[in-house]
Amino acid sequence: MNCAETDRLLDAYVDGELDLAHHAEVEAHLRSCAACASAADSAGARKEALRERLTRFTASAALADRVRQSLEIPGVTSPAGTARRLRIFWSGAGLAAGLAASLMVGFVWGGARDRSRRVVDEAAADHVRSLMADHLTDVASSDRHTVKPWFAGKLGFSPTVIDLADAGFPLVGGRLEEIDRQEAAALVYRRRQHVINLLIWPAEPRRVDPGSGRRSGYQTNAWVEDGFNFLAVSEIPADELAEFAGLLRSRTP
Amino acid sequence: MDESDSGRSSASATFEHLMLPHLDAAYNLARWLLRHDQDAEDCVQDAFLRAYQAFGRFRGGDGRAWLLTIVRNTCYSHLRTARRQEPVVAFDEEIHAADTRDASFWRRECPREELDAALGRLPAEFREVLVLHEIEGLAYKEIAAVAGIPLGTVMSRLSRARARMQAELTPTRQGGTRP
Repeated sequence: MNCAETDRLLDAYVDGELDLAHHAEVEAHLRSCAACASAADSAGARKEALRERLTRFTASAALADRVRQSLEIPGVTSPAGTARRLRIFWSGAGLAAGLAASLMVGFVWGGARDRSRRVVDEAAADHVRSLMADHLTDVASSDRHTVKPWFAGKLGFSPTVIDLADAGFPLVGGRLEEIDRQEAAALVYRRRQHVINLLIWPAEPRRVDPGSGRRSGYQTNAWVEDGFNFLAVSEIPADELAEFAGLLRSRTP
Repeated sequence: MDESDSGRSSASATFEHLMLPHLDAAYNLARWLLRHDQDAEDCVQDAFLRAYQAFGRFRGGDGRAWLLTIVRNTCYSHLRTARRQEPVVAFDEEIHAADTRDASFWRRECPREELDAALGRLPAEFREVLVLHEIEGLAYKEIAAVAGIPLGTVMSRLSRARARMQAELTPTRQGGTRP
């Protein structure tokens, strides 16, 4: 593990949110790198200061009584429909944001290269984070008929889920991600002992730059199909990731 | 009538048993989000009522995260209707560039009042992740459930919130670049 990777995982390390393997890797790096060790020390001191010195407000006895009393009264009404209003608010906000973004496309063309580089960086960071404890999958299943419906209702779109177990890329599950300020489906596949994250999100308003690349030690491969951006990230060699991408594209209905 | 009354009291006993222990956590989150004693008390009471009415949909599991989700939503609707002036998220790139404080700064300086004031100046979305993680000790996964955001976002938001705290605690030198 190098300094850049350690830096990315440092907060999670200090927070005790890394799985054993990564925790050990970070620890090993910290033993050999004074700069990272000092960064870890100050992150730890910061955490301790925040945890121990920030005020924790406690409920007054009067509030406890008020809450208890209000629960005794039958038929109490409280404002309902908040959730529904929220959903309407968000779908309106999404529409407005989409419209604004599509209007802006013409103006931000010059920043497109930077942006596509940033999207790939984000995907690589998502991949690194996905290797942490409890984060690889929100839904763990090798059955695409389980994974696909899981996304329904959680995303504004329905990703195509294809299993490639017969070709040596078994599906292991999925989770929610955010990329380029949009919601994305992350499908997780395995290749031997390695993980492949496949991010899928709408190509509107912004398409990814197709092609393969390399970011902080990880391979990436991107393409656009059927109105969706696809970005695969993994530590497997570029040709294997390209094979994975090719198989997926050939099997997309 | 009798039957439904006894049904109600046993449900309310279960509710009390499972949810009242989290009253302090609920109040702490509301107080930090609203930064006002009375508003926080009102929202907590309202949230407990909503939770009680929605208790039939509670599937077991993490009662604290379930309750805090409702507290959080209640607070945000209150903030929207009250239209109180909320701190705005500035460009994070600059904040990321802020120099890191060494460990001794956090160990020797930074009294409680300064930390509290700095946290109070952060935007609500940053305040809530710090309150949930550092003060209430929730894991990333629980925060994701409470705030309704992906796990990766919890992590990036937490690190931005910490960087922002650091920037708030750093005395402005040579005028600074932000207005």
